[in-house]
Amino acid sequence: MRHRLSASGRRLGTLAGLFGLGVLLWALTPHFLTVSNLLNVLEQTSINAVIAAGMTFVIISAGIDLSVGSLVAVAGVVLASTLHAGMPITIALAASLAVGFAFGLLNGLAITWGRLPPFIATLGMMSIARGCALLFTEGRPVSGFDPAFRSIATARLLGIPAPVFVTIAVYLMAHFVLAETRFGRYVYSMGGNEEATRLSGVNVRLHKTLVYGVSGLASAVAAVLLTARLNSAQPIAGIMYELDAIAATVIGGTSLMGGEGGLGGTIIGALIMGVLRNGLNLLGVSSFVQQIVIGLVIVFAVLIDTVLKARKG
Amino acid sequence: MRALHRSILYPAVATLVALAGGCNRAAGTGTTGRPRVALVMKTLNNPFFIDMQRGAEKAAKDLDVDLVVQAADRETDVERQMQIVENLIQAHVGALALTPSGSREVVPVVGKANAAKIPVVIVDTRLDQKAATDAGVKTASFVGSDNYRGGQIIGEYLVKVANGRAKVAILEGIPGHETGDSRVRGFKDAIKGSPGVTIVASQPANWERDQGFNVFQNILQAHADIDTVFACNDIMALGAIEAISAAGKAGQIRVLGFDAIDDARRAITDGKMTATVAQYPDEMGRAAIEAAVKAMKGEAVPADIGVRIGLITKENAARDSDKK
Repeated sequence: MRHRLSASGRRLGTLAGLFGLGVLLWALTPHFLTVSNLLNVLEQTSINAVIAAGMTFVIISAGIDLSVGSLVAVAGVVLASTLHAGMPITIALAASLAVGFAFGLLNGLAITWGRLPPFIATLGMMSIARGCALLFTEGRPVSGFDPAFRSIATARLLGIPAPVFVTIAVYLMAHFVLAETRFGRYVYSMGGNEEATRLSGVNVRLHKTLVYGVSGLASAVAAVLLTARLNSAQPIAGIMYELDAIAATVIGGTSLMGGEGGLGGTIIGALIMGVLRNGLNLLGVSSFVQQIVIGLVIVFAVLIDTVLKARKG
Repeated sequence: MRALHRSILYPAVATLVALAGGCNRAAGTGTTGRPRVALVMKTLNNPFFIDMQRGAEKAAKDLDVDLVVQAADRETDVERQMQIVENLIQAHVGALALTPSGSREVVPVVGKANAAKIPVVIVDTRLDQKAATDAGVKTASFVGSDNYRGGQIIGEYLVKVANGRAKVAILEGIPGHETGDSRVRGFKDAIKGSPGVTIVASQPANWERDQGFNVFQNILQAHADIDTVFACNDIMALGAIEAISAAGKAGQIRVLGFDAIDDARRAITDGKMTATVAQYPDEMGRAAIEAAVKAMKGEAVPADIGVRIGLITKENAARDSDKK
């Protein structure tokens, strides 16, 4: 239970950071603290937040998933092509989620049965999935969908954009799985001590494979949001999204060593990145400076964890 | 305890953000009460867009407006470009000049600008006509040079200098990009009447120099008899030049580019490159901001603003660049 307690302490710290950033931007620009801008930030954060939810499972289990950006592309082009083939939206959504889940499971199988390090297995998948997306579409974007599908991105309920509800639903489900189910407990214990988990009779191979399936599934949900938002699925979509998702997860306090962290931190991490990018745009800061600021935030967030661990050592 | 320690991070970030905001004010693009217009480009790691930014800055100075310039880190990241535009809409800029990273993909965000009553001037890459019509989005103007005509100019030049006999490889931009597609179409139409000029390979190198190098190196492996390469931008052409010299074929292959960036002009002067098409991005940037300011004031703006275009060869490579 110790990891839960320290995680919640850290979450408070990260939340304070998000709040501080908000206050600062409020002081610097009149355009930040408006209802429409805050909704705008939430909408923009949704895609990265959804991918990062899956990434949090993977990182807590002491793994990494570099293939998520490519899986977004594959799931997106499958979705778009199914819609273009005249299939109903539900079938297209199911096909897309199934493809994301299946590619994720393949990652998991390469890691558990193939005994490949997660870094290598998912690096390979990053290229394989990208190639599949390009091959499948002959390199061209698949675009133009009917308003019913696009409403996944464009609909508003009480003024709140639909992707925000999708993100909330994803986080509620993911949090339930991680905090309340046996599978969730195994994710933590595999990350904390895989050998001990195996010796206590847990089927580590099965559960670890599922962890990567969850990540692939999350990527597919993000693909649905992205495709609806752009009214187009590009085979080159999602390049380097893995880095944003990893960044949101670690800023949120999930340790790359595994065994600790949680979704509460990740959503705040994703929001910090979203607010930071939004704020720097509102202030009209040069794109070059933006990259430096975001890089420094990531490095500092992890640096502080490392320093703390070393002290406790 | 950790929460307390973590608090070290946030003052540091706060200082950074404040500093970034502060620097920016000093540069004169902050909130000064003057009208504010924005230029959103595909990327800032291509000299073409740096030139465009320069032209836009000059126009903003002359017209006494504040200019915000933003771009995504990567030319392929159209979602990020969409976010930038959304954020600028939130910042209530008076008008927006935009070079779309995706001809279809930016249509929804142009719609958002329409809804916020912010006039949009499209620069360099046209919106996909069908997608724009379907979505019912409106733009104040298009500023750019005719990419199709540019492709034609370079194709006609090739037919002339090659005496109607050439084996050509094409390096395309990102598939589905209107700009690159038009250039290739113009080029192909220009060589259509010359059966001796054949295209033996055509591959995308996604506008990038390293990919131009690798893709052309691979093409050379498969087709050793290629004597001409047409790259849809100079950056890829410069990559191809490196691949040519790595293959020990320097001087044996004609290199045709597009954009006439400074490095390409230099390569033409040095005899490493044959020709390119000048696009004058600085004039595009200037015209875009002028049109955006007019649209912001509610004045009439032509729907199509053409920027001159011309062939650059050894004869005029240096002279033309002196003029800038």
